[in-house]
Order: sequence, then C-alpha cells, then structure tokens
Amino acid sequence: MSVQTEQVSLKRSPVRAILGQFIPYLVAVLVAFVAVGVFIALMGFDVFKAYQTILFTSFRTQNGIIQTLLKFIPLMLQALAFTIPLATGKFNIGGEGQMIVGGIGATAVGILFSNLPGYILLPMVIAAGIIAGGLWGLIPAWLLYKFNINEILSTVLLNFVSFQMIDFVASEVWKDPVAGHPTTIPIGEGGWLPLLWDTPPLHAGLILAILVAIGVYIYTNRTTGGYELIATGANPRASKVFGIDVQKMFLLSLILAGGIAGLSGAIEVSGYQHRLIKDFQSNFLVLGLIIGLIAKGNNLAVPFVAFFIAVLEVGASAMQRTMAIPVEMVYIVEALVLLFVLLSDVVRRRR
Amino acid sequence: MESLGQVVNFLKLVLFYAVPFILAGQGTMLAGRTGVFNVAQEGIMLFGSAVGFLITYYTGSPLVGVLAALLSGAMFGLALSYFTTTLKMDQFVIGLALFFVGFGLHTLIPKLALGIVPSLPRIPTLSEVPIPLLSQIPILGEIFFKQNLFVYFAVLLSIFLWFFMYRTKAGLEMRSVGENPLAADSLGINVAVWRYSMTILGGALIGMAGAYLPMEFAGTFTPNIVAGRGWIAIALTFFGGFAPHTILFGSLFFAGIDGLASRVQVGGFGIPYQFLLMLPYLATILVMVFSFKRARVPAFLGQNYDRETRSMT
Repeated sequence: MSVQTEQVSLKRSPVRAILGQFIPYLVAVLVAFVAVGVFIALMGFDVFKAYQTILFTSFRTQNGIIQTLLKFIPLMLQALAFTIPLATGKFNIGGEGQMIVGGIGATAVGILFSNLPGYILLPMVIAAGIIAGGLWGLIPAWLLYKFNINEILSTVLLNFVSFQMIDFVASEVWKDPVAGHPTTIPIGEGGWLPLLWDTPPLHAGLILAILVAIGVYIYTNRTTGGYELIATGANPRASKVFGIDVQKMFLLSLILAGGIAGLSGAIEVSGYQHRLIKDFQSNFLVLGLIIGLIAKGNNLAVPFVAFFIAVLEVGASAMQRTMAIPVEMVYIVEALVLLFVLLSDVVRRRR
Repeated sequence: MESLGQVVNFLKLVLFYAVPFILAGQGTMLAGRTGVFNVAQEGIMLFGSAVGFLITYYTGSPLVGVLAALLSGAMFGLALSYFTTTLKMDQFVIGLALFFVGFGLHTLIPKLALGIVPSLPRIPTLSEVPIPLLSQIPILGEIFFKQNLFVYFAVLLSIFLWFFMYRTKAGLEMRSVGENPLAADSLGINVAVWRYSMTILGGALIGMAGAYLPMEFAGTFTPNIVAGRGWIAIALTFFGGFAPHTILFGSLFFAGIDGLASRVQVGGFGIPYQFLLMLPYLATILVMVFSFKRARVPAFLGQNYDRETRSMT
C-alpha cells in the first residue's frame, strides 16, 4: 500500500523528512486555494472576504474556537476509524454506521439506567458506544474473515442499515413526542460528559479523543502489535511467511475502527446532544475519509489534518450564512488538496 | 383477475426500478473486465443525478439532460483512468477521492445554478413509450413493452454487451486485459487503450444511471438521491461474476426487493417500515455471503499494469 510508505521515511532523518512532507502539503493547500479563489471571483464574489471568513472564523471568537473543536472531535475519530484498517490495506467506509450504532448503544444505556449516578453511568454510556460500534465493525470483519467478502461493500452497506435503525430508535422506541425531527428522549444526566468550558459549552470528549489519537499513534508506530498491522498492509504475503496471522490483523483493525467510530457516536450523545437525533452523524464519514487520505494514512498527521478540515468546515458554514456562497465550495478545496498531495507522491516517485 | 393485475404491475415496476442497477452494474463491469476497479459509483451517480436534473430543467429536454450526465460520468471515468492507468496510483484511493468529489459537487452545483433555495423546481418524469404491436401482447406486452426508453435501452445494452464480450474478437481481447495484462500486452493488445475506453464508457453509463433517478418518479432532485444504489451496483457486479447477463438478472432481483419493500410499506403488515427499508442492503450482504466463493472476478482486478517494467503495481 503506497499510502504507508511515509512512516518509514519519517524514521530516517526526522527534520528533513518532516519538512519534506510538510512542503507538498503547503503547496497543495496554496494551489487549491488559488484555484477555488479564481472560481469564486468568476462567480462575482469577494474572494478575500470569503477566504478571511473561511480561515479566521475559527479563531476570531471564543465561539468559533469551540465550534471548531466540537467538529474536530468526531472528524478526527472518523478519520482514525478509516486509517487503522487502511494500515492493513483494508478500507473501512462504515465509520458512519459504526458511529450511529455507537450512538444508539450509548443512548440505550443512558435512557435505561438514567437514574444511576454519574461515576457509574458515564463510563457505562461511553463503553456502550465503543462496544456497540465495535460489534458493528465486527460484522464486516467477520464476513471478510469467514467468507472473504469485500469490506468496502459490506461496511458501506451496513451504513444504510444503520440509517433505518436510528430512525426506528428515534421515532418508535424512545421517541420524544414534542420534537418534530426524529429524536429520542434525553439520557440521564449522570451520563453527560463533564464540561471543560461553560459558555459556549465544550465537553470533555475533547480529552477522550486526543487520548485515543495518542493511543492509536503509539499502538501503530511504537508497538509490536502495531508493527504487525502495518507489515500486513505493506506486504501481506511476506507477513504471512513471517508468521503474522494476516486474516486476524484484518479482523482486529476493523473491530478497533468500529470501536473508535462508536466512541465518536457516544461522545456526540453524551457530550453534545444528550439525546439521539436522526442525522446527527452529519457528513463526518466522507470528511473522515478525505482526512485519512490527505494524511496518507499517517496517524500522527491525522489530528492536524482533522483540525485543518474542522477550521475549513466552520469557516465555510459562516461563509454561506454571511455571503451566500454555498458551503460545499469547501469540498472543492478539500478535494484539490487531496489531489495535489497524492500527485506530489507521483512526482517524487518519478524523480 | 385483480391479483393478476397486481402481479403484472409489480413486474412492470421491477423492470422500471432495475434501470439504475443495470446501467451502473454494466458500467462497473466494463471497467472491471479490463482490470480497473471503479469504486466511485455512488459519487458519479450523485453527480450525474444533479447534472441530469439541472440540464433537463434548463433545456426542458430529458434527452439533453441524460446526455449531459453521460458526459459528466465519462469525465469521471477519464479522471480515474488517468490517475490509475497512466499515473499508476492506487485504484481504491483514487476511487474514493472521486466519490468524494461527486458527493461534494452534487449539492454544490444545484446551489450555484439555482441559488440557495428551500425547494428545487420540478422536471417532467419519464413517460411510457409503448412499442407498436408488441405492447398489444397480453400480460407480456404490458410488462416488457410499455416502459420508458431507459428500460429498453438498459435491457438491449445488456444483450449487446453479452454478444460483444462473448461472441466477438474485440470482446475476447477486452476480457484478456483484465485476466492477464502481461499476456495481452505480449500479444499486441493495447492494455492502456482498453482500460481507458472501457473505464470512460463505464463512467458514462454510471452517470446515466444517476440521471435516471430524478426523472424516475420524483421529478425533482434531492440530496443523496442515490441512497446507496451505487454501492449496491458494485456488489451485484461482483456476484454477477462480471458478466452482462448475470448483472441484468441480479439487477432485477434487487429491483424486486426495492419494489417489495415499497409495496409492503404501503400495505402495512405491522412490520415497522424501517425494517423493510433495510431489506435491499441486508439482501445485498446476504447474497454476497452465498455467492462470493463462486463468483468469478477478473484475475487482475484492481491492479495497475506498468508496461515499462512489465509488472503490476
């Protein structure tokens, strides 16, 4: 898998390697912004004002910073749910479904045991999310292990199943009768994540997410188990010869990914919404994919790319509100960044 | 006699529902047979649906709309070819990137064209074009020969592709490119030309499949209108063993489940509708379980061929 080659070069000469990686990114971002800028200008909008809004909304106000961090949490977790199986050469497109099912698990526990005190209920809610997401990731993992079924298809198809599950839960099982949109009743207050900041509220899910990111990085880059994971992706046949159970690595990476995506669902429920709302998963899946691809599967780069994308997303919705430029314009920027980052690999290979 | 009428109507609906599956499935098959594994279907269909809708709205002609969607799908095919066949980049990575592009553009271009409006305008839905004489046959005429033009096209295309692939020399060449590019190359078959042409043609068919959706019933465009049909098309191409005739029958099977889900939903039966709407996706997974071992997949699917070093990447 060509995506993984970067991590090797990083170990050779740290400073030059990091610079060598950073410059293509910088060029990619610049070129993408210029290209989209020309397009925005041709449409008759003020490019500089548009870019000011996109880039600085996140940093100008306290609200902007917190909105960005709240987006950053699920985006980074979704990206990790994509990059971990990617290390083994498998594509998990099911982060969305795993997040939803994680959210359902967290909500179910949060409602059923709503009277329990926080120090019991909160860990239960979070654990329920991780387990539910992990189980949802286990299905495609098992299908791959047992029947050799392409994981791209099984993971993505399960997303569509989960859309109906959340609709069922939010409009039949625990329906909130006053809400217009399918929404469940709130979970017990004991299941709420504590706040790091009061107004506007920022919950402790941020710490959980960062801990997970650090944990994933250490696991994949600094442990034997993680080495086996990456070896599997780099050369499955050689890994098999050297005694790595390749099939088990696929299984493990997909379950792990499911658990992380499930955690992101639990965090949204426990920290942000305090209930399950249909469509709460937003477009985190596709953004997670693009983050993982821009980071070229490098788990150290994922948090930084995720933060950058969170800034763009928050800025873009401000731009649509204030300037009536469609928020999707930022997709083009992101796609172009990805394109140029990937192309820089081709250029390097040719030299 | 009433129940017979219901059955006839249902079968007619199945063919009607099958069109996007057939088109996108054959499009996937064409690229796959030459060794290019396209995974951008969902994105290409989303983009095709938006383009088809907008152009139909502006020109008033569904035909022009469909042609535009065809072209836009071909552009995706061209991009996929260039990055994989020429630049030898990972087919899945590029496919997912193109999925993202289609996904992003499908809500962007209606906003650019029509402004940020709460509800989009309507376009005419496709009308039935009965075939003279044949449509007079009892029952069969009603099912097969009183359909819209897309249905005829999709079925005829499948038959044509079967003939092309299994009964012509060119078809044999095309299949050999996916089965063994090295051998094909040494026989003087141009691997790159086959990969480019089939991926572009496949992309065009997938774009067309997308354009069908707003014209099918809704008469308007909604975000995420494709609802996973692109992914299902990949799955059905797989267990259809990359063969045009099995893809045709597989599409009918899925369309049948789609039709059944919507029928039973209207009819009640006490099952929560959400579980019925899960059916197409669950059925896809189930069918994969039962057919994956037997399914024939082109041997070099998903691998790029480097002519200079005569190796796969």
